[in-house]
Amino acid sequence: MAINTEKLGYILQNFVSTTSDVQGAAIVTPDGLPLASNLPGGMDEERVSAMSAAMLSLGERIGKELARGIIDRLYVEGDEGISILTSCGQDAVFLVLAGRAAKQGVLMLEIKRTVSDLKHTLF
Amino acid sequence: MNLNPDDFMSLMEDRTNFSDGDKILLNKHADWGLAIAPTMANHFYKYLGRDVEMSAILNDKEGRMHRLRETFVQWFHEMFTGMDNWGTAYAERRWRIGLVHVQIGIGPQHVVPAMATVVHEVGKQLKIDGQPEELKDALSRICMIDLAFIEQAYVEVSSAAVLKETGWTEGLFRRLIATGAGSM
Repeated sequence: MAINTEKLGYILQNFVSTTSDVQGAAIVTPDGLPLASNLPGGMDEERVSAMSAAMLSLGERIGKELARGIIDRLYVEGDEGISILTSCGQDAVFLVLAGRAAKQGVLMLEIKRTVSDLKHTLF
Repeated sequence: MNLNPDDFMSLMEDRTNFSDGDKILLNKHADWGLAIAPTMANHFYKYLGRDVEMSAILNDKEGRMHRLRETFVQWFHEMFTGMDNWGTAYAERRWRIGLVHVQIGIGPQHVVPAMATVVHEVGKQLKIDGQPEELKDALSRICMIDLAFIEQAYVEVSSAAVLKETGWTEGLFRRLIATGAGSM
């Protein structure tokens, strides 16, 4: 069955517009190709996709090397905001960009829900 | 990134226009090739030895220089004989030589100019011995193919190491190189 990219785009748009302090999101393949994205203006979708896949893959490798078990997500915090990468099954990676003011409990819960929706649409 | 030496050999033969005529010419002068091989080994290692870093690598272990010289003579002669008509055995041996270069640390930056020196010296020797000028062209072409194997070995080994350590897919790795190179 073909992937419904329109629905993927809708899920991302809904997530970005309804979750407080979320600035952007993307879903990409492990090869770093974009499946759908809703990113802030000025961000290069191709580059963001490649970096997201690279980071999650490297994170999983580090997790294995350091005996941390299966990695659920990667969290990168900067003074301008946070980036969260979540594995979305074997064939996709979910990237979320949020501001520093984001309530992390709410954000994690929303990510969990959205990942479930994305998986349902993808597989 | 698993290179198939046979396929790579065919690709490089096409790219360099290494022809059947070149093969016949090289075969015909195989004895001459063997006769001048030790002299060419001298030129090759004299050139490399001038570099402090290379000199250290070449003389790192006892007997290494001697073994390398023997390998050079064999390698040089094989460019004329083609081993199995420049087939699978030839390609696999070139690939193996490339890997050994990576293991020892003799990079393309050292081998390329050293090989150019050899081709230049072959040209001079050719005139002294009254050999046809076309022989130099044929030898230059097969030399370029052998160099391509050495360079490719560096790329393949480096890439394989990165993929192994990061868990990245080959597609992702190529994409990162493309986007990274695009931003330079």
